[in-house]
Amino acid sequence: MRKIIAASIAAGSFTILADRSYAADRDAGAQLAAMCASCHRLDVGNGGIPTILGMSPEMLTRAMLAYRSRERPSHIMRAIALSLSDEEIATVARYLAALNRQVRP
Amino acid sequence: MKSRTRREFGCLTGAMVLAGLAPRLAAGEAKAKVVVVGGGIGGATAAKYLAASTRTIEITLVEPKLNYTTCFFSNLYLAGLCSLESLTHGYKTLAQRYGINVIHDSVAAVDPVAKTVGLKSGPKLPYDRVVVAPGIAFNYEALAGYDEAATQIIPHAWNAGPQTQLLRRQLESMEDGGVFVLVAPPNPFRCPPAPYERASLVAYYFKQHKPRSRILILDAKDSFNSQDLFLDAWERHYRGMIEWLPAQFTGGIKAIDVKGRSVKTASETFKAAVANVIPPQIAGQFAQQNGLVDQSGWCPVDPITFESKLQPGIHVVGDATSAGDMPKSAFVANSQAKACAFAIAAALTGSERQSPHLFNTCYTFLSPDDAVSNAVSFKPVAGTIKIIDNFVSQVQESVETRHQAAREAQSWYAAFTRDTFR
Ligand SMILES: Cc1cc2nc3c(=O)[nH]c(=O)nc-3n(C[C@H](O)[C@H](O)[C@H](O)COP(=O)(O)OP(=O)(O)OC[C@H]3O[C@@H](n4cnc5c(N)ncnc54)[C@H](O)[C@@H]3O)c2cc1C
Repeated sequence: MRKIIAASIAAGSFTILADRSYAADRDAGAQLAAMCASCHRLDVGNGGIPTILGMSPEMLTRAMLAYRSRERPSHIMRAIALSLSDEEIATVARYLAALNRQVRP
Repeated sequence: MKSRTRREFGCLTGAMVLAGLAPRLAAGEAKAKVVVVGGGIGGATAAKYLAASTRTIEITLVEPKLNYTTCFFSNLYLAGLCSLESLTHGYKTLAQRYGINVIHDSVAAVDPVAKTVGLKSGPKLPYDRVVVAPGIAFNYEALAGYDEAATQIIPHAWNAGPQTQLLRRQLESMEDGGVFVLVAPPNPFRCPPAPYERASLVAYYFKQHKPRSRILILDAKDSFNSQDLFLDAWERHYRGMIEWLPAQFTGGIKAIDVKGRSVKTASETFKAAVANVIPPQIAGQFAQQNGLVDQSGWCPVDPITFESKLQPGIHVVGDATSAGDMPKSAFVANSQAKACAFAIAAALTGSERQSPHLFNTCYTFLSPDDAVSNAVSFKPVAGTIKIIDNFVSQVQESVETRHQAAREAQSWYAAFTRDTFR
């Protein structure tokens, strides 16, 4: 039996969910969200660069597609939206929404 | 690491980005060890993301300085628009929140056979992987008359901190009507738009306080990054104040006369009231001394894992790398560090690795409320890294667009330094 180390910085509820596909999705989401964190404060911080926490996966996905199609202007968001596959956009959008649920008390 | 209460999660979102990753460790199993050399943007980001993505690796970050001052935004400090303290960041959060073992010392050498990293003060740290992020060194041999000692008289200010302060003091005590001579380096160098951003912001300072002063840029090159955007801005904001002389005009920079505070080119000698010489650059000394650089003076790396192509088990990120089309910027160092951290975590813990997404974005100030940006995406292709898309600001943009970019830049600084150090 493998003993699960209580991860101090990991949100407890994440480690309980042992479903393989969920875990894989979560890992991919976390690695993709790391990219967002270079510009977006993943908490309240706003001003100039909008916050992305608190958006539903549908809203986030729609925003990414709008950047990709140039409907919304932004150099960096366009470069990122073009670089990610549809599936990656969906994955990171789900991850950020789940992260938001963890942040809110 | 102590366990945390739910209430603390509100301020732990930086860590929580990676909360999903923590793989399991069998009871009693020894932790793998990673040593990170250098706590600049590349090293600090790599250490943080390794720590946050797995509980099963012991991470040590070795950095001589107690605090890190960012080069990005240091041109705003030169213009008198922010304090150096506001650009300075400590390592406490990395140690306390992420459990990183932060050691303030220099790494003297890495022994790839014994797999140890030797600290200057003596101790040797064992490792499974090393991440090396020593930044740049200056190739003084390539510039006659200028050396380490000369930097105390004619600063380069290409590492932020005391050098930036010295240059600011010289600008402050310069008489109105003096000439500020900026020597711009040959490619490749840290942050391609930065010498020209510096000229713009020093011109802004002169315009406010010393309006008769002038700026002369003596360039080792014949063209530079975003040249059209700069030339347009100089005409609009600082007409007649900034003169740029390319190498084809001067015949190139030949020598620096430190005592006489002048710069000799093939055609003419230029006397300065204040001089700022940015010398040619190579990978940080540590990389030079540990077999990580090739003839180019930079460190060749695997485009996916950032493992050195010369020394297995040693990864290099940031300015020291020669990573295909990727420029030397803080954003690139941060982007590479994340890809490298996930690759190392995958190799040491068996966790799953996503294919990396690599980006650069740079905000450049032309005046305090006129900024431009560029954004580039990259992809590993055939053993190197290639540009996929490149979006840049245009000359004809509206005042409001530029103003918005300046606001965005400020917001980016806060988020980015948080992503690296907190
Ligand atoms: C004026 C200016 C403006 C800039 N503006 C921007 C910008 O707007 N956007 C942007 O993205 N980039 C910008 N940059 C570039 C950015 O600063 C660098 O690309 C970035 O710092 C590179 O990170 P790094 O980790 O490779 O090196 P550094 O950040 O230089 O870190 C290297 C660290 O390694 C440590 N070190 C060295 N040797 C050893 C050793 N033997 N043992 C232990 N530690 C060691 C050093 O003390 C240092 O802290 C700018 C640069 C300049 C000069």
